[in-house]
Amino acid sequence: MKKLLATLIVAGTLLSPIANAAPKEAAVMPKVGDMAPDFKLQADNGKEISLSEYRGKKQVVLAFYIFAFTGG
Amino acid sequence: MKNFQANLKRLEATDTQVLGVSMDSPFANKAFADKIGVTFPLLSDWGGDVTHKYGIYSEEYKAPRRVNFLIGKDGKILHEQLDDAAIDPTKIVDACERPKMKQ
Repeated sequence: MKKLLATLIVAGTLLSPIANAAPKEAAVMPKVGDMAPDFKLQADNGKEISLSEYRGKKQVVLAFYIFAFTGG
Repeated sequence: MKNFQANLKRLEATDTQVLGVSMDSPFANKAFADKIGVTFPLLSDWGGDVTHKYGIYSEEYKAPRRVNFLIGKDGKILHEQLDDAAIDPTKIVDACERPKMKQ
């Protein structure tokens, strides 16, 4: 019985970091009120644009679309 | 993106910059912008790092979901539209034109 208990504790200790790490792999979508994650990406004119360059200057609409040449 | 282009003047009048984002290459985005007459930047999230960071990668499309985020001058998210609800940006345009409570 003691041995079983010990095995369970060891197994639990070994497995818990995996269980904790799992949700971090896929980031959760930020909610209203959260800070928008910063980024720097290449625009269609070749220039690089970062979100933080608009901080304190302009609001930003980030419009993610699935593919170019689709509607919407 | 056409729907944002149609509302671009109203958005710009409220000090709002529109940025389109997809996982297409900059070349595909340039061709797309030229074809539909989009004048705001279309950003290339080649590889999908930003799409993943925003938690909106779709396994089904192997691409981002359709999502609009309105981000305030302080960098905080003010409004979100998801999937089919993101096709018509009217709610975001209205939110921009509404007098600000506090900022």
